[in-house]
Amino acid sequence: MTALTIDRINKRYGNLHILKDISIPIAQGEFVSLLGPSGCGKTTTLRCIAGFERPDDGRILFGNRDVTRALPEQRDIGMVFQSYALFPHMTVAENLSFGLEVRKVSVPDRQRRIADVLAMVRLEGYDKRYPRELSGGQQQRVALARALVIEPSVLLLDEPLANLDATLRDEMRFFIRDLQQRVGITSIYVTHDQAEAMVMSDKIVVMSAGAISQFGSPREIYERPASQSVAGFIGRSNTISGRIAEALGPDSYKVDTPCGSIGTTGPAGLAKGAEVKIMIRPENIDTRREGAGRPTSEGKAGADENVLAGSVVNSVYQGSANQLAVKLASGDRVIVDVSGRNPLDIGEQVALRFAARDSWVLAS
Amino acid sequence: MSATEAAPRLESRGNSRSATWMVVPALVLLIGFFALPYLTIITMSLREASTRAVYGDGFTLAHYTTALGDFYIWGILGRTLLIGATVTVISLLLGYPVAYHLAKSRSRWTSLLYIFVLSPLLVGLVVRTFAWMIILSNNGVANQALKAAGLIDFPLQLMNNWLGVTIALTHVFLPFIILPLLGNLQAISPDLAMASRSLGASRMRTFWKVTLPLSMPGIQAGTILVFVLSISAYVTPAMLGGTGGRTMSVLVVQYLVDNFRWPAGAALAIIMAAVAVIFVGLYLRLTARAMRRLP
Repeated sequence: MTALTIDRINKRYGNLHILKDISIPIAQGEFVSLLGPSGCGKTTTLRCIAGFERPDDGRILFGNRDVTRALPEQRDIGMVFQSYALFPHMTVAENLSFGLEVRKVSVPDRQRRIADVLAMVRLEGYDKRYPRELSGGQQQRVALARALVIEPSVLLLDEPLANLDATLRDEMRFFIRDLQQRVGITSIYVTHDQAEAMVMSDKIVVMSAGAISQFGSPREIYERPASQSVAGFIGRSNTISGRIAEALGPDSYKVDTPCGSIGTTGPAGLAKGAEVKIMIRPENIDTRREGAGRPTSEGKAGADENVLAGSVVNSVYQGSANQLAVKLASGDRVIVDVSGRNPLDIGEQVALRFAARDSWVLAS
Repeated sequence: MSATEAAPRLESRGNSRSATWMVVPALVLLIGFFALPYLTIITMSLREASTRAVYGDGFTLAHYTTALGDFYIWGILGRTLLIGATVTVISLLLGYPVAYHLAKSRSRWTSLLYIFVLSPLLVGLVVRTFAWMIILSNNGVANQALKAAGLIDFPLQLMNNWLGVTIALTHVFLPFIILPLLGNLQAISPDLAMASRSLGASRMRTFWKVTLPLSMPGIQAGTILVFVLSISAYVTPAMLGGTGGRTMSVLVVQYLVDNFRWPAGAALAIIMAAVAVIFVGLYLRLTARAMRRLP
């Protein structure tokens, strides 16, 4: 079990700057996801860690060992691929045995470790099968077992669930996470699926255009996104443009918007007058018919509650909830969730309430 | 899943009928230009020799017994097979690295290399063989160069023997092993080699344990093609072989055209074809064992 340090690595192909000063400190036993759209550099980063790409500068450390110039086979990694990459001409047992033979593990030890790891991925009795005789989910479990049986320092996973169907993918998320925690292995997980990154990771690295947009826990990234692109990439979000009117505290502000002034939290150190966007997650907005419940007072920032008025312009039934589009007085559209039992019709006037601590300022 | 599987079945009857018709043109071609001529040759090989016509009236096995009892013919048969095997092995050794490189390379020069690989096929057979004569003859380019370099005093015998035939055949048939291998190697996911190396295997071990076993189908197809083409080649051994490099096809043509011994020549052709079928059959069984674990 090893900590992993990625220290200011850069990678260029000709004029293309693929990785820009990527630094990621990963603690021992941590599960870190590299998240971003295709072409953001997440796979290149993983390949640099694996040794299939060599960064132009910067360092990669496994514990205290500098592996920047080491070949993949010298690094002591376990790797799981989107395509599973099981050797088609070998049985499950032979696939698992491959890395152990390279390491010159004795035959009885090999057999014991293969049996152990097969039990761990719940594939006892499948050792004589060929990969083509297994389902996609089973193949991916073999691939995981093959990477783990050599007891590597770090486990690298390159979109391992992308080829599986939705139900199996949900199941495998928890399976992999549970296995990783039991083994306690430091893991890097590349994915473009934000939901996957949220449920599996200790930390998430959000990447875009070869640079790190944000590095933090899933909660930090969801609730306190560093930029509009991060907010847009992770979950659903609404934004309202405005200008900082005054700082109410170290991380709370009053923002003037076309819908009135809004009280919100935000990163420290924003200057008065700065152009900003306020982000509110749909599930944090309480939507009621105009006049129902408490009286509305549009645009008046309370101590910690904001109220905005608008009219419903669209409604989509989603089973557990209705998703409404509400047009504000300013013309901005806001997405909100309302309970399916309390439908609001298109054209109805509604009041939107949200707490100051549930909204967050995105610096432009 | 079930919907996509069921859909083609609805039309399967109509499809199978139209599919039958689609093989007819090829079948006509095969019967007309392959099966019937072969039958003619077999019949001819069983006819009695004649000095007045192409063959006599009666039937006999004499041409086979004479040929099989003749050490000279056994020698030429052996040489033909040996040249075939040598060309095949050298083509494999030369062609595999080229195919491997073409399959892995992402360079823009790859298309140039493609043309280079196919270039032997772009020049006419006779012209190409003449070129080899210019290079390999006693006063040829190769010997002149070696003499100029001071490496030899007397010219090396590079043609009119099996060596010249082997060199020229390897040159022509190299593309026939590179192309099947290339298709095969390109179909092997690069993830497999990466997985192997992530598990600690060196490049060398990865090649022997993963890439090579998975490229057996390409090796098999390519080597059979080159072997069959080499042992049946005529123009190259006829022009470059002389007497020392005479092969079965040259001998057959000599029987038919020079000696006007059609039935005996036909028997030689059939013997050659039978030997080729036996060798390829044995080779298929041998290689099938190496491939039995492949999907």
